[in-house]
Amino acid sequence: MSKRKRPDSNAPSDSLTDHERLIYDVIRSNKQDMGIWTRDMKRELKVNLPDNIVTKSIKSLQNKSLIKEVVNIHNKGKKHLMAVEFEPSKEISGGAWYSEGSLDTEFIKVVKSQCLKQIIKLKVATLEGISDSIKRSGAFKVDLTKQQIEEIVRAVVLDNQIMEVKSNGSGEFTNIPVGKVCYKNVSKGGGGGEPKTGSSASVPCGVCPQINFCTPDGVISPKTCVYYTKWLDF
Amino acid sequence: MLTEYGTKHAVHVITNHFGDLVAKVCECLLRKGPLTRQNVKRYTELSDEQVKNALLVLIQQNCVQAFTTEQPDGFADGPKANTQYVVLFDNILHRVRFAKFLTILSQEFDQQCVELVQGLLEHGRLTLKQMFDRAKSSEKEGNLVDLDSLRETLVKLVTAHYVERCPASEPLLMPISEEEGPARKKGSKSAKKIGEPETIEQQVVEAALPMEAMRFSVVTNVESDVGEKEKNSNNVTPGEKRKHDVLELDECGVADEQSVVYRANFEGFIRRLRHKGCIDHVRAHLDDGAANVLSAMLQATSSAEKKVKTKNSVPLSLSSIYEEVIKSEAGRNMTLDHVRASLVQLGELSFVDASSDSYSIDFEKIIEIAQNEEVESVVSKRYGRDAYRIFRLLSKSGRLLETDKISDTTFVEKKDAPKILYKLWKDGYLLMEKLVVTGARQSQFLLWKVNRQILWKHVLDEMFHAALNLSLRVSYELDREKELLNLPADKRTGPLQDRYNRIRKVRILLESSQMKLDDAILLFHDF
Repeated sequence: MSKRKRPDSNAPSDSLTDHERLIYDVIRSNKQDMGIWTRDMKRELKVNLPDNIVTKSIKSLQNKSLIKEVVNIHNKGKKHLMAVEFEPSKEISGGAWYSEGSLDTEFIKVVKSQCLKQIIKLKVATLEGISDSIKRSGAFKVDLTKQQIEEIVRAVVLDNQIMEVKSNGSGEFTNIPVGKVCYKNVSKGGGGGEPKTGSSASVPCGVCPQINFCTPDGVISPKTCVYYTKWLDF
Repeated sequence: MLTEYGTKHAVHVITNHFGDLVAKVCECLLRKGPLTRQNVKRYTELSDEQVKNALLVLIQQNCVQAFTTEQPDGFADGPKANTQYVVLFDNILHRVRFAKFLTILSQEFDQQCVELVQGLLEHGRLTLKQMFDRAKSSEKEGNLVDLDSLRETLVKLVTAHYVERCPASEPLLMPISEEEGPARKKGSKSAKKIGEPETIEQQVVEAALPMEAMRFSVVTNVESDVGEKEKNSNNVTPGEKRKHDVLELDECGVADEQSVVYRANFEGFIRRLRHKGCIDHVRAHLDDGAANVLSAMLQATSSAEKKVKTKNSVPLSLSSIYEEVIKSEAGRNMTLDHVRASLVQLGELSFVDASSDSYSIDFEKIIEIAQNEEVESVVSKRYGRDAYRIFRLLSKSGRLLETDKISDTTFVEKKDAPKILYKLWKDGYLLMEKLVVTGARQSQFLLWKVNRQILWKHVLDEMFHAALNLSLRVSYELDREKELLNLPADKRTGPLQDRYNRIRKVRILLESSQMKLDDAILLFHDF
């Protein structure tokens, strides 16, 4: 008798070995978007499978595009396995700003730059205004959610490139309800990304990582200080 | 309470200006607090004569103030007065700022005013006659000094509150009753806010001050047969400490011009520097127009300021502000609309409060923003941009935040955020709290916070440390090249000239850096 594939709405089109089926079921039955850590998955298997069988089965399932490996942002050593049809939750992947377990710094930089550009263009902008403006510009293939825009705008405030103000309903705030939070470009000082160097930071001691170990006559002292020597090297 | 490097810096200043002996007495008072002469002698192990001379120098130079307190005595002859000495830390700090004070004067007054105050700063305190003798000794041909014009100069400076009469030599410090409490002292100029107790230094300074009208008045009549007033204030009856200025009215009620002593009023200069700092800050954040408007508001309201650390200026209407703006050359080109627009800009940053068509400067806000920027600049340069964003987040939020929340909001890698937070905490920039949550599993969370009060004190101590280091390095560099500096110019050839050029540049850089750092110290300590 030849083996015939049984029609099963949940079964994949390719055939799976018994071991692969076992592992695949455990992975799929787990919290779908959380996936399962490899070690936990081994524990949940009803039969004790040798490690090499498990590893071979996982590889096979991956090659058959049935499962995928997702890096856990909280612990990069812990690989999570999940069925391909699910997207990893923010808790595992880190969210829209993470890619393969690390911050997608290029993408973040681009979004920040776009937000800043729109704010400068609009002069005074609400979150909705920035979001609409970015959508209209077509700068991104995917639509960024309002929450994502808000997260980025808050980070640009922390970079001191824009400031948060409240509308007073008049002048440049006409058309914006009184009290609504808006954003404006910082005209001077922090503009350009670098904070203005303060008085304290313009001398070596002000930015010295060894200041707590420095004493007037100690091993580290103003007379022996290498940062001073470099600073005074005319 | 003084920080360690605040004390070290002050002692170093006194050592540079007056030598080791005076510095030893000063350090003793700084570390131990107010002491009697006997106790100073005991702690410093100096002779009676040495202690006395050191104290006289410090008093003359306004770095120490004597005061008396009542010691309850078991015997029938009543309570005994006992003289103690307290160091005036702020006045020691002012000693490195004399050049700044003279620059302010030179912008507002003529050369004779500048020279008069220069004399007061050099000698600590002078009578009119002493000022005249000093001016006479450096008289130039064709520029003769006469007493009347000198007196006029003095009146100008006293009216502008840059010079004042010296305080009482030994005011009686009344013990504060339990009901009153140190924080509720009425009319107290020096208590920073309600609830913050005055230090002994502040109490003594206030007790010694003459009444406002007397403090800023110049005696102009000369009565040569009037006897000199008793210098000893032990006869002062309790409750009348302020009325007895030992250097003023004698029993006949006529002041002796020859005996009234004057000194530079540091408060007046610091107030002016505070205004200047605010104007510069506004210029850096906005533009010249806004700076002109702020400057005009200060011009119109500064005489109403009762103390250096005033929170808000007296409210002004738009028309009063405009009238003042167009008085200056810089403001003459500004229209009313331009002034109004600048006020809106200033209001947006909360530098100016606008209500019911009147405008008032919020000094506290301007200074708070300037202080934040100063600290953020240090964090950025010392710990990097990620740390800068983290610090700004915690500083703005003012409350405890968990590590993950911080890394998410600031877009710092989850593995990097804990390292940065730990470094900031270890160096005293953040507070940390551990939170243990017991549930299915026990989890530990770390929470972080910026505590401004603690951090500002730490930052100021680091500034004093930096100031001390700059001073030590200047001395070290100049000492190393002492012989070269004493060499006549024609003997400085080849490599010697190169070294000479280097030491000149080094000196200029270090000394200008000292002045720039002092601006930051002013921002955190005096403004």
